[in-house]
This record gives sequence, C-alpha cells and structure tokens, in this order.
Amino acid sequence: MKTYHDISGDGGSRVLEQVGALRARVAENLAGVKRRVAIASGKGGVGKSTLTHQLAIASARRGQRVAVLDADLNGPTQARIAGLRATPLLPGSRGLALPRSSAGIGVVSVGSMVPETTAFDMPSVAQGDSYTWRATREFTFLFELLASVEWGKLDLLLFDLPPGAERTRQYAEALGADTAFVLVTVPSALAQGVVARSHAALVAAGAPARGYVLNMSGYYCAECEEVKVLFPDAADAVELPLPCLGRVPFDPELAELCDRGELERYDPARPAARAVDEIVTALVRTKATGARP
Amino acid sequence: MKFLCIPCDQQMRLRSVTGPDRGSVSLVYACESCGYGIAMLTNAHETQVVGSLGVQIGPGGEAVAGASKCPVTGMLRELDARADTAPAPTTALPTASAPAPSDDLLWSREASQRLEAIPDLVRPMARESIERFAREHGYEQVTEQVLDRARSHFGL
Repeated sequence: MKTYHDISGDGGSRVLEQVGALRARVAENLAGVKRRVAIASGKGGVGKSTLTHQLAIASARRGQRVAVLDADLNGPTQARIAGLRATPLLPGSRGLALPRSSAGIGVVSVGSMVPETTAFDMPSVAQGDSYTWRATREFTFLFELLASVEWGKLDLLLFDLPPGAERTRQYAEALGADTAFVLVTVPSALAQGVVARSHAALVAAGAPARGYVLNMSGYYCAECEEVKVLFPDAADAVELPLPCLGRVPFDPELAELCDRGELERYDPARPAARAVDEIVTALVRTKATGARP
Repeated sequence: MKFLCIPCDQQMRLRSVTGPDRGSVSLVYACESCGYGIAMLTNAHETQVVGSLGVQIGPGGEAVAGASKCPVTGMLRELDARADTAPAPTTALPTASAPAPSDDLLWSREASQRLEAIPDLVRPMARESIERFAREHGYEQVTEQVLDRARSHFGL
C-alpha cells in the first residue's frame, strides 16, 4: 500500500499550495525592504516597544525610510506611541495603506483597529479552546499583513515582538533568516534569566540574536543632569553571550511622550536618545540588521 | 492530509465541499479508478484549525476521469452531476466576521475589490470607518474616489 510520501499532490484540497502562495506574496511584497530587524526579549516590560520606536526615529533622522510592524497583536502599543490610535487601517490602491506618524515612520499596529479597552478578537467557528488554533491564526494574520501592506521602498522594517521565549523562537522561524534579532533586557537577574532563555531558543532555531540592548541601565535625572542607579547590582545575573549594542537610561520624559504619542518630540540631545543613536551606529557596524543577500 | 483507496492503491481526489454548517465542513473524496467515494465531516475545531491557515478548500475545477468501477453504482456520476451544478467548488473557511452589510450605502465593484485586497481581520473595521466617512460627507455610494478621499481625510 502506498504511503503519504509515495503520493504527489494533495488530492485537490490545495491547502499547502495556498500556504505557499501566501509566503510567496510576502517575499514579493517585501522585495523593496532592504533590512529587517526584530526587537525581542522574551521578557515583558523591558521596553521593547519604546526602544523599537526610538530606533525607528533615530534611523529616520539619518534619512532612512523606516516602518514598524507591531507584531504584538494582543498587546499592541505602537499605534499609541506613534500617535496613530485614531488613524484606521484602510485599503490603499492595491493593498493596505501604510499609516505614517508625524515623523514619517510607517506604523502598522492592531492598536489602530481595536480600542485599548477591547481584546483583539479572532472570530471562530469553534466555541472556546482557542489554544488549539489561535497561534496559527495570529501568524497567518502576520503573513497577511506582510503580504498586503503597501510598504513600498524601505531601508529598515522593524518588528516589535511580543514577550515569551517560545514566541520569540516562533517569530524567528516565521520571519526567516532575512530578519536579524536584537534582544532587550534590563539590569536585573530576573529579566536577564528570561532573556538568556530566549537567546537559547533563538540558537535552537538557528537564528542567534546579533546582540542585546541593556535598557533602563540607569535613571536620568534632568535636574542634576546625571544618570543614577536604577536597579541594584545583579551579581548572580546570567551573562548574555552576545555583544552589548548599547545601554539606554530610563528617562521619565520619554515615558510621558510615549503615552502621549509624541515620542518624536523627545530631545535628541538627551542621554537616552544619544544612546539609541549609538545603537543604530552599532547595528550598522556589526551588520546586525538583517540585510537581504 | 491525503486519502488512499486501498483496493486500487490510488490517491482519492477531492470532488466537492459543502458548509460550513454549524462549524462543520463536508468534503467528498472519490477514487478515480473505481469511483468509490467517502465523505470527511469535520467538527468545528478541525474546521477552525485548518481555517486558521487562511485557506479555501476546494478541487479548483478538477475533473475526475475514467469509467466507474465503483462498488457503489452511480457514485461517480452523481458526484460529477453535483460538481456540474455546484455554484462554487471552493469553500472559504470562516475565520473572520463578514463586514455587516450596509443598509444605505452601495459599494462600487472597484471599491469592493480594494476592500477585498486587505486582510479579512482588518476588513470590518476598515469598512466601518469608510462608511462613517461616506455618510458624514454625504456620499451615497462608496467608490474608489471616496476611498481615496477617506485616506486623505485620515492622513494616509
């Protein structure tokens, strides 16, 4: 009796063919994107989203054409950070129009389509048990966005990833080798343990991160113009086997501007902005930016 | 997933898809050699899992060839007859709510095509935003021009 592998084709269901076609449309639609970088951590609350948008702004200030895809579908923040919560996602001439912040950064976020008081619902014919299909649907939606948004020509496409070490690995597999990963941590043993685990997951997926950013490395006091200690020394913290791309101090003004959707107004001379600018330099220098071959 | 006719040792072909009905899809497969047919009836979770891949299920107009040696006499002819009369051989697995139809606004074919070109999960919100814009600005029909004006209105 024949086995599965003895038979070519799928008998007419065309399921695999359609999945392959979607992936091909993604590749075609991203043909104008020079570099892709995913900002990940595994740990929540370390400032991935803020840092992602800061990197976008710093790159745009260098004349780069930049867009951000908020891949955190269930906890989207990029629409708020970019001041685009009231800007709906609408059809363009051949796909989904790319919303742009006042700084000219393209931002696609579920936060532009679902109010913050509402969960991102994915209708289903199944009643409950969403753990059996939800992750698959989310990745399909991610591919649909990549395939349909009118990205145009971009120098840099940043992905703001959700937390979770296993999710980080799944995104590495979904986004492929053309996407470079940068991990974000804060100077605490707790966070670095999770981030180290995420790095191990990326290594297992054959997609080791290119480096990490130490966020909230201190506290910037605007009155005394000094960066002070924010976290106590984490003596037993796991050392990440990655190059450190930069240290970004916490600045309350930055947090306030993020909440107001006015991050582009953040003074580029302040320490956190200068640190992020140096990270952009480091990313270019280390080629940690997912350049397409 | 593939189906094999054991007596013929040959792959069975998808002939028709119906549903979803209360989450269940019925897929009829038949053997091209003997014509024997089976039906796969999914439960709602199975439908949802496959639908989460964003696919449509259907034979795509493929014809089953060859004379019937079917132990169930007439099965192949019946399947062929059904295929001839079926309005659409594919089934879109429902993973998103269809946009609510408008009572007072018409959509031109071109505008509808543009809406269809965006992901189905975004469509209801996009449609709602466009129709609100159209009503507020006194349009009776959503055309490509209205879509473009809506985009400008929202700074896109």
